[in-house]
Amino acid sequence: MMLTDRNFKREVLESDLPVFVEFWGSWCPPCQRMKEIIKKLEEEYKGRMKIGELNIDRNPLAALRYHIKGVPAYIIFYNGKIVHRDIAAKSLDQLREMIEESLNKISKMETLEQTV
Amino acid sequence: MKVHNAEKTCWNCPAAILKGNIDFRACGQSLEAIRKRIETEGLMIECARQPDLGRFEPTITFEECPEWRLTEYGYLLENMKVMILGIDGYLGWTLALKLASLGCEVSGVDNFTRRRCVEERRSLSVVPIASMDERLEAAREILGVEINFREIDILDWQRLGRFMREVEPEAIVHYGEIPSAPYSMIDCDHAVHVQYNNVIGTLRLLFLMREIVPEASLIKLGTLGEYGSPLTGRPLFEGMFPADAVLLWGGRKWSLGGELTPRDPVSFYHVSKVQDTFNIYEACKYWWLRSYDIMQGVIYGVHTDQVAADPRLRTRLDVDEWFGTVVNRFVAQAILGMPLTVYGEGNQIRGFIALEDAMECMTRLISSPPEPGQYDVVNQVSGLYKINDLAETVATVASEKFDIEVKIQRVENPRVEADVHPFEVVSENLPNLFGFRPKVTLEEEITRMFELLTQPHIRERLRKVAHLVKPRTWWSGEKRLVETIEVYAPGTKRPSGYRPVLITGKELEVPISTPIREEIEVPLNDPPREKVKKNDADR
Repeated sequence: MMLTDRNFKREVLESDLPVFVEFWGSWCPPCQRMKEIIKKLEEEYKGRMKIGELNIDRNPLAALRYHIKGVPAYIIFYNGKIVHRDIAAKSLDQLREMIEESLNKISKMETLEQTV
Repeated sequence: MKVHNAEKTCWNCPAAILKGNIDFRACGQSLEAIRKRIETEGLMIECARQPDLGRFEPTITFEECPEWRLTEYGYLLENMKVMILGIDGYLGWTLALKLASLGCEVSGVDNFTRRRCVEERRSLSVVPIASMDERLEAAREILGVEINFREIDILDWQRLGRFMREVEPEAIVHYGEIPSAPYSMIDCDHAVHVQYNNVIGTLRLLFLMREIVPEASLIKLGTLGEYGSPLTGRPLFEGMFPADAVLLWGGRKWSLGGELTPRDPVSFYHVSKVQDTFNIYEACKYWWLRSYDIMQGVIYGVHTDQVAADPRLRTRLDVDEWFGTVVNRFVAQAILGMPLTVYGEGNQIRGFIALEDAMECMTRLISSPPEPGQYDVVNQVSGLYKINDLAETVATVASEKFDIEVKIQRVENPRVEADVHPFEVVSENLPNLFGFRPKVTLEEEITRMFELLTQPHIRERLRKVAHLVKPRTWWSGEKRLVETIEVYAPGTKRPSGYRPVLITGKELEVPISTPIREEIEVPLNDPPREKVKKNDADR
C-alpha cells in the first residue's frame, strides 16, 4: 500500500498488524528495481503483515522523523515501535528472511509480555 | 482498463515546478530548511502551464489534469514542447513529423553532420532527401505542421542554450550523435570525431538542461550494442540488474538490484554511447534530471505514414558499409543483384526494430516522462534475429513478392566479434510500463522497402553506391575489401548457432538461449558450393 505523511499514523503506528515500510526515492535505481518485489510481498503476507512503501521526497516528514539518510531503507513497525531496520537493495528471499525473523521476534515479545 | 500512464501525477509532469518547492538535494536546500514550511502548509508546487492555480499538492493524475489528453499512445501533454537534437537524421526527421502530427510543438537542431559524413565517404542516401528548407515547407503544406528548426552544432553550447531558453522544451530527444560503428573504426581521426561529438555533445547538453530545463525529460538514444553479447549467456537486462539478481561470494550474498550491468561495447562508437550512459546516470543522480536511456536494437525500414505522405518528406536511407544497417543493406544488395553479404559465420544474433515501431516507442516514452531524478533504461527491440536468418528472409521476400532471385555470400568478418554466441534480451519495460506492442513484422517492412527501393530513380541511386556496400573497414585497421568465403542459394543451409531468446513478460520460467545441438553434433551435409573467385561475387 502507498503510505504518506498523512496516513502514516493511522496505517503504520496504529496498525493492529506489524507493518513493513519500504522508504524509497524516484532517483534511486535500486528502489525502482524493488517495486516488483514489494508487490509480491504484499500478496504473500496478506493478513500477517502490512506491506507499505513511502516516497521520501513526497513525504518528507516521515523521512525526517525516522532519519532516513539512504534508500532503499526498510523499517518494520509493531505497536508503533521499530522492531527492525535495514538498508540496501534486497532480493525477495532476503526480504522474506528479514520479515520472518521480525515476525518471530514479535511473537516472542508477545509471549514474554503475556508471561510477565 | 486504464491506459499505462493514466495514474502518473505531477511528479512525472514537466510542467510541475519543483525547483525551490521540493528538497533538491544538490541545490543547496536541505530537508531541515524546508521542514517548517512543510509542517505548516504541506508539500506544495506550482504549475508552469497553469500559474493561476498557485501552490497546490502535486497529486493530480494525468487522467484528471486538463493539460493531458488521451491519445492512442496514452495521455499526452497538450501541445507538448519537444526538442529533437539531430532532427535532420534518419530517426530525427521521422520522429519530428510524427510528433508534430500528434499536436506536439516540435523544435529541432542539426548541423548536418550526418549528411557531411556520408558525403565524405562518397556515398549518398539512396532515398533522395530534400533540403531542410524544403522539408519544413513540405511539412507545412502536406501535414499542416510547423517545425521550429535552427541550424546549430550541439557542441556550440552557447547557441544551443539560447535556443533552449527560447523554446523551453518539456522533453528533449537526443538523436544528435554520429551513429556508426564502422565509421568510428576507419582511423584515429574518425574515432576521435565520433567520440568528441557524441560524448562531449551529450555532456554539454546535460549541463544546459540543469541550468535551463531541469524538469524536462531527456530521451536519449543509446544502443543495444552497449551491452555487447556476453559469452556467459546471461540475459541483457534493461540497463540495471533486477533486485533478484544476487551476487554470491565467500558464502555471502548481495542483491545487485539497481546496479548498472556490465557494458562490453564493440566499437569506439559503442564506447561513446557507454560513456553517455554513465554521464546521464550521474547527471540524474547529482541534479535530479530525468532520463530514459534507450538501448535500441538495429533499426531498419523506410515507412511511417508521415514520411510516406510526400517524396519531400522522406527520411534518408543509407546502404553503404558505414551507415547502412544490415537489413537495409541486404534489401539494397538484392535489388542490385548482388549476393547478400553475411560477415563470418552469420550466426551473430542482434536485436532489431522497424522504423515505424521505434517511432511508436519514442512517442510512448515522451508521453510518459520519468520521475525527478529517475534514470531508467528500456531495451527497444521488437525481435531478435540471426544475421543468416535475416538474409534468408530478405531473399524469400525478394523471390516471392518481387521475382528477384538472390544468393547469399559469406565473407570474411572485418569486425572483432563472436560469430557464434548465446543471446538473451530482456525487454519488459516497453510492453509492461508503456503499453507498446510491435505492429510491423520483419516481412512487412522488408516488403515496403522493396516497393520503395525498386522505383527507377532509387535503383539508379543504388547503382551509384553499389561498390560501397561490401565492407573494407577492418577493426584491425586494415583497409581492404573482404574476401568471399562461399556463395550459396537461400534455403540450402541448415540452422546452426544459438537460439535467440527475447524476454518480454514476467514469466516464471523463461527459455534459455541454447545451442542448436543437432546441427553441432551431426556433420553438415552442405549443398554443393559455387566456386568463387576472390571478390568476384559482387561483380
